[in-house]
Amino acid sequence: MTFKQVSLILILGGTTLASGCGSLGVKPWERDTLARSDMRLDANPLDAAIDDHMYFSKEASSGGRSFAGGGCGCN
Amino acid sequence: MQLKPKNSPKSVNMRRGLMAASCALLGAAGARGQEARVAPADSGLFEDWSVDSALAYYHENGRIEAIEPVVNVAKTFADGQALALNVTFDALSGSSPNGALTSHSVQTFSSPSGKASHSYTTAPGQLPVDPNYSDARIAVGADWSVPITRVTEVSVGGKVSGEDDFYSATVSASIAHDFNEKNTTLTFGLNNEFDSLRPIGGAPVPGSDYALSAKTGSKTKDGVGVVIGLTQVMSRSWVTEFNLSVDRFKGYLNDPYKITSIIDIAGNTTGYEFESRPDQRTRKSAYWENRVAWNRQMSTALSLRYMSDNWGVRSDTAQLHFHWSLSDVRYIEPSIRWYRQTAADFYTPFILATEQPAIGYESSDSRLGPFHALTYELKYAQKLPGLGGRAESEISVRAEYYQQTFAERTATPIGLQGLDLYPGLKAILVQVGWRF
Repeated sequence: MTFKQVSLILILGGTTLASGCGSLGVKPWERDTLARSDMRLDANPLDAAIDDHMYFSKEASSGGRSFAGGGCGCN
Repeated sequence: MQLKPKNSPKSVNMRRGLMAASCALLGAAGARGQEARVAPADSGLFEDWSVDSALAYYHENGRIEAIEPVVNVAKTFADGQALALNVTFDALSGSSPNGALTSHSVQTFSSPSGKASHSYTTAPGQLPVDPNYSDARIAVGADWSVPITRVTEVSVGGKVSGEDDFYSATVSASIAHDFNEKNTTLTFGLNNEFDSLRPIGGAPVPGSDYALSAKTGSKTKDGVGVVIGLTQVMSRSWVTEFNLSVDRFKGYLNDPYKITSIIDIAGNTTGYEFESRPDQRTRKSAYWENRVAWNRQMSTALSLRYMSDNWGVRSDTAQLHFHWSLSDVRYIEPSIRWYRQTAADFYTPFILATEQPAIGYESSDSRLGPFHALTYELKYAQKLPGLGGRAESEISVRAEYYQQTFAERTATPIGLQGLDLYPGLKAILVQVGWRF
């Protein structure tokens, strides 16, 4: 599967989401579960940063969740 | 139906959480995920900062070990602006593979400085590693987020880092816009990285003979990255995120300490040459994460990533992360990650002497080879009474086991058979954390 195919799937999925946004989501008073710390998309930023540093130095890939650069001479 | 006040802590935290998730696109850890406590309007300059800290120990089987302390401090001001500062220190030592092939013979190498007194030898059957590897790195970053309107936020950030032979500076900016009652956030981010390489003994001429030690002075590389992200609240217990990113680096992209063995048809090593990579690389990646709460105790996060670049590398990554609350003050988080990559077009574990004159780009760096990797992780955290008027603090311990396994075997001359040419990698990481 190429990047174009993956991107197409994500863009179509995103478009579907965006077009259906009016019916997706919750009201402000329904955010109790989403407000939990474990439901944050960046729940463990230090863990993720340390892991990303390890993977950046040992693999050819980086980024995705954020920018791909590393600011490190380890790769 | 129970209506919450417009600016209830949960409402503010959720909005800040989504904003922070968008800020994750900035790439600096300092911008992400500090607990979003909003400071009161009369808060002093040094009051109401949240602190997230960790100390990590990393150890590879027979190779590198590293110690990495990290501290993030962050504050969300009463007007919605947020400032995050980050400091990271790395101390590395041990043995680093130099790229040469395992051989039946003793191999002798000089250290990067080229001084005879710093030469080292590798015994037959052993992977050639430089046993004198040592480095220290410090990185400092800052991110500042400003709400422009009630639904739009702009963030800017910067990060500088320095180590013995490498210096880097990164600037980044992003804009996040909420709509659909803040259930949808669109984010666009840019970053620019400038790196200066000052290898010990100079930067080798790519593809040059190792014995001649043809080196030049310092080198540079720089990169530009773009990320477009969509965060969507799907339901009361489900949030999803899509990111598409492209980055392009150009300049001296070689590892100045990596060499490639030249062997004859019988498998005997006849020499080495410095690796030679293209001077431009473009990477594209697609990332999708779903976070679902199953009940009051358990949630999962499943992330998928696909990456490709113009060097021929394709990779797939999948990670499944569990959060399980054992009580109101304790939780565990097991996680498993699977990763697979294909080799770069110019990856080769060795160069046949007969092909050397026309080899072009080449690298034996195993990080550009074909392999898959698994990571197993377990984290335990305990919440404690807060400090200085804060509601709570948290201590945690985390352990990881990482294993790389080469997926392919290049046909090797008979003279090399019986040698473990692709030893893979096994590593552990142990981390303790404290946030308050």
